[in-house]
Amino acid sequence: MAVSADRASGAFFLLFGLAMYFYVNPVYIETVDGGNLAPNKVPNIVSIIVAVCGAFLTLKPTAHQVRNPILMVKTGLYVGLLVAGIYAMSWFGFEYVAPILALAIMWMIGERRPLWLGLGVVGMPVLIWFLVTQVLERALP
Amino acid sequence: MVDFATILAGFGDAFTLFNLAFVLFGVVLGQFVGAVPGIGPIMAMAIAIPFTFGLDPLPAIAFLVGVNKGGLVGGAVPAVLMNTPGTPDAAATAMDGYPLAKQGKPLKATKMALFSSITGDTFSDIVLITVSAPLAVLALKMGPIEVVALMIFAFSILAGLTGNSLTKGIIAAGLGLLVASVGQDPENFTPRLIFGYWDVFDGLPLPSVAIGMLAISEILHRMSEAHGNVQSAIVAKDTGNPDDRRVTWLEYWSCRYTMLRGATIGTILGALPGIGSTAAAFMSYAMTKASSKDPGSFGKGNIQGIAASESANSAVVGSNLIPLLTLGIPGSVGAALIISAFMIHGMQPGPLLFENQGRLVYGLFGAMIMANFVNLWVGQVGLRVWVKVVSAPESIIFASAILLCIVGVAMATSGLFGVAIMLIFAVLGYLMTSFGYSLVIFIIAFFLGPRFEKSIAQSLALTNGDLTQVLKSPVAVALLVLSVISVVWFLRKNAQAEQG
Repeated sequence: MAVSADRASGAFFLLFGLAMYFYVNPVYIETVDGGNLAPNKVPNIVSIIVAVCGAFLTLKPTAHQVRNPILMVKTGLYVGLLVAGIYAMSWFGFEYVAPILALAIMWMIGERRPLWLGLGVVGMPVLIWFLVTQVLERALP
Repeated sequence: MVDFATILAGFGDAFTLFNLAFVLFGVVLGQFVGAVPGIGPIMAMAIAIPFTFGLDPLPAIAFLVGVNKGGLVGGAVPAVLMNTPGTPDAAATAMDGYPLAKQGKPLKATKMALFSSITGDTFSDIVLITVSAPLAVLALKMGPIEVVALMIFAFSILAGLTGNSLTKGIIAAGLGLLVASVGQDPENFTPRLIFGYWDVFDGLPLPSVAIGMLAISEILHRMSEAHGNVQSAIVAKDTGNPDDRRVTWLEYWSCRYTMLRGATIGTILGALPGIGSTAAAFMSYAMTKASSKDPGSFGKGNIQGIAASESANSAVVGSNLIPLLTLGIPGSVGAALIISAFMIHGMQPGPLLFENQGRLVYGLFGAMIMANFVNLWVGQVGLRVWVKVVSAPESIIFASAILLCIVGVAMATSGLFGVAIMLIFAVLGYLMTSFGYSLVIFIIAFFLGPRFEKSIAQSLALTNGDLTQVLKSPVAVALLVLSVISVVWFLRKNAQAEQG
């Protein structure tokens, strides 16, 4: 039995559903006496359904092919960049981080033309700053 | 039933210069982003919603309607010029639009797409305006038991129709319901699955979830594919013949039956949850080709093919609002985004909407009609400009879209915590689409989750926990039977597809 994309995701959802039912829901949902519908009722039922469907998918996978792993690694790099950018924003603010983040994204995509880089790094952040702080009169993150 | 004075007052509210300005801005933005492959109106609406917080409900919703309608027109531009549909529903348009552009008639192809799109959209809007109020009166007769049965039916249809596997559809719906249960329990108001983060006691913020899953996850896909390739491929040569740059009245009129068929298909499919505009476009295209005297000309630049596709995919937009306005059930991601905008602006979609906020609903209808005219006008003027837009590099588009998403979510959630949640859901959305799970059903289940649970609690209270009481409601029984039938039917269809 070869490991296909559906078998892998099905196994994950089987374990996820079981973990939700046996560990997460009992620990992180408060119990209440009385009432028509206990707080854990719907999450428990849904967890079981997810686990059963995960098991079914593991046994009867479709022919779905997972995306090229190299593309997923590249996506991981972009996610890392966004995490770093948002973390930096929490320290230094949007005004200072946005141009650097835009530059990093455009550079990673492969943009090297000065005009487009200038528009993305200076033009767009300035436009957003103007729209949010001057037109909408709201604060930037 | 809504009285005539309310209807007139609603239309009167809509037809003001102030609202016209917002519709115009929305249509221009929609056509612009629709013309950019990879963004599309859904992503644009997701990004735009937080920016409408400061507006009154009608201009805000008029603006979003403009974005949605404009996006469908704009989506045809890259389909015709680059054979790269800006939106998935424009894929059928590319089949004849691109060959026509290669023949040196890109403006004829884009204009035919514009005219047929407006025709289909207007047809669908008329149906929406005439049938939604009577349907809402019928829907008012439904109690919580019927609402639960209706939602189960909607989930069963959505799970089967979206994606290629019913099992994956059910898992996606289950995940949506689990994520929706984060926050306070709707009956006892106790914290649930918040893991110590009291910021999510009121539930996960919809803008973070929607923008993360619909916009950022798609941008992540596109960025990884565009990695190292920033050139745009565009075919826009021109024959120089003025007739090749316009659509004559005779050409338009020759497509009247095609457009009527497309608009009817789009309107019917749009009113059913989960089917969507892409299926409508391809179904209309296939039926037009099958009924044509010259089927061999399709795929080689036949304007009937463009008319069939565009009239159908645009007709879905109006009728998509029928289940939303009458039952409070969004039939598509676009409708789910509109419903979230409604709620942000104090409107509660569902049968009572016509009674409680009838004037606003008819204001919305007025804005939709206005958006059609504006779409036509902006399209006529703007098509030449959008041709330039498709040649903009993806690098600046994606960088700008990410910054807008960050700012939009931060504004909507009052801080970067919501942005962090957005990023988590972006990764989840990326993984789900990579493994073939539908985001549409996830978002709709997430949105309907609290109401679903509340309706179950109300049903249990009404029946004292005796489930046999459900049998006393013929509507609920019929809907539950239909749910079982649809699940069995989809399972058989999946099995046949695997054998085939």
